Amino acid sequence: MKNKLLPLLGVAFGLLMGSGPLFAHHGKGAFDMENLTIVKGTVTKFEFINPHALIYVDVMGDKGNVEHWIAESSSNNHLSRGGYDKNSLKPGDQVMVTGHRAKNGAHGLELQCKECLVADSQNKVLLGYYF
Amino acid sequence: MPIRLMGSIHALAAVLVFSSVLHAQTPEQSGAAKALTQAPTVDLSGVWEANMPGMQWAEYSFAPDIPPMTPWGKQRYLAAKPSYGPRAVDHSTDYVNPTTGKDVGCLPPGVPRIYIQPFLFEIVQTPGRVVELFEFDHHMRQIFTDGRQHPKDPDLTWMGDSIGRYQGDTLVVDTIGLNDKTWIDRGGLPHSDQLHVIERIRRPSSDALEINITIDDPKAYAKTWSGNRNFKLRPTWNIKEFICADNADYNEEFINKSGAYSSPNPSKQHAKPAKPNK
Repeated sequence: MKNKLLPLLGVAFGLLMGSGPLFAHHGKGAFDMENLTIVKGTVTKFEFINPHALIYVDVMGDKGNVEHWIAESSSNNHLSRGGYDKNSLKPGDQVMVTGHRAKNGAHGLELQCKECLVADSQNKVLLGYYF
Repeated sequence: MPIRLMGSIHALAAVLVFSSVLHAQTPEQSGAAKALTQAPTVDLSGVWEANMPGMQWAEYSFAPDIPPMTPWGKQRYLAAKPSYGPRAVDHSTDYVNPTTGKDVGCLPPGVPRIYIQPFLFEIVQTPGRVVELFEFDHHMRQIFTDGRQHPKDPDLTWMGDSIGRYQGDTLVVDTIGLNDKTWIDRGGLPHSDQLHVIERIRRPSSDALEINITIDDPKAYAKTWSGNRNFKLRPTWNIKEFICADNADYNEEFINKSGAYSSPNPSKQHAKPAKPNK
C-alpha cells in the first residue's frame, strides 16, 4: 500500500541518523525533491553496487495489482562507510521505503536525502542514507 | 657451447632493453631537476572527503556565482547539458554521468572537476612527487615537485601536466596541457585548451585540507576567478574500488527500466501528497 502522506517517522529517523553532505552521483531533476513518498512492500532484490545501490520492492497496488518499484540509494562505497553491506536487505524482507518519487509518476524512488531510508515493519532502519 | 652462448646473448639483450626502458621513463629528470627536488615542507597526506556543509552550490561548482565569460565561453556554456547547477536538465549529456539512458559516459572529469566528483581522494607525498589517488574511477594525478618545468608544447590530456612547489605551509600546483573535452565543474562551466589551473593546497589543521583553485583561461573567461574546496580527514578510511564502466547495470535498471527518466505522462502524474494528519 502506498502512503503518500508526509512520512513523519521517516523524518524522525533521518534526524536520528545525523546529517551528511547532499552530494549525489547524478542530477535529481527527474524526482520530486519537495515531497517524500513512502511505499510498503516486499524486497525482491538488493544490489549493493556502484554508482548506486538498487532496492527492488513489490508493492500491492490499490486495485490488488502488484507494482514493481525500484529505489536507488547512494553508492555502495559510501553506504559501507555508514555500516551497511550487501546483507542489509534480503529478498522477502517486509519494508517501508521513504524517498523522492519520479516526477513522471513512474515507480522509481530516489533515496539520497537525510530523511530517505528503508525500514522494517517495526520501524527499524535497515538501510539509511550515507554519503 | 651454442646453448650457453644463446643464454649470454639473451642476458645482454635484456640488459640493453631494460636500460633503454629506464632511460625512456625518466627523460625530464635532468641532474638540475634532481638538485631542485624539494622535500615536502608540509604533510598533506591522508584520505580526504569533501566538507562543504550548507553550500548547495558546492554540489556542482567551486564558487556560488557564475564567472563572467567571453562570447566563446558563453556559447560553450549554453551548449552544455549538465545534470547539476542552474542549467541542469533531466536528460543530461554529461560526459561523465549522462542520464540519456543510452550513453555510457565515464570519460575522465578532468582538472579541476575531479575534486567535485562525490568520492574520496588520497594524497601521497614523496620527495619529488605528489600523487593524488581518486576513488572515482581510479583516476590519478602526478604533481612533480622535482624542479622540472612544463613541457614547452605539451600533449593535451584529460588531467594535464602538473608541477608543484612548496611555499611554507602551502603546496602550489600549476597545471596546463588540458584538453577542452571537459568542464570546469559539474554545472557545465566551459574551458578551452588554454586553461591554466593554479591550486594552493594547505592543511589549516591536522584534520582539514583546503584547496584554493584559480582558473585562468582568457579564451573562456573575461577574467581569472577562483574558488575554494574544503575537505576533512578520514583517518580510518581507505580508497575503495569504483569502476565507472561497470555502471551499465545501474543505467539499464534505473535510468532505463524504472521509467523515472522517460517523458512525463500527464495521466500518470501523481498528485501532491496531502497534508499530514495531525
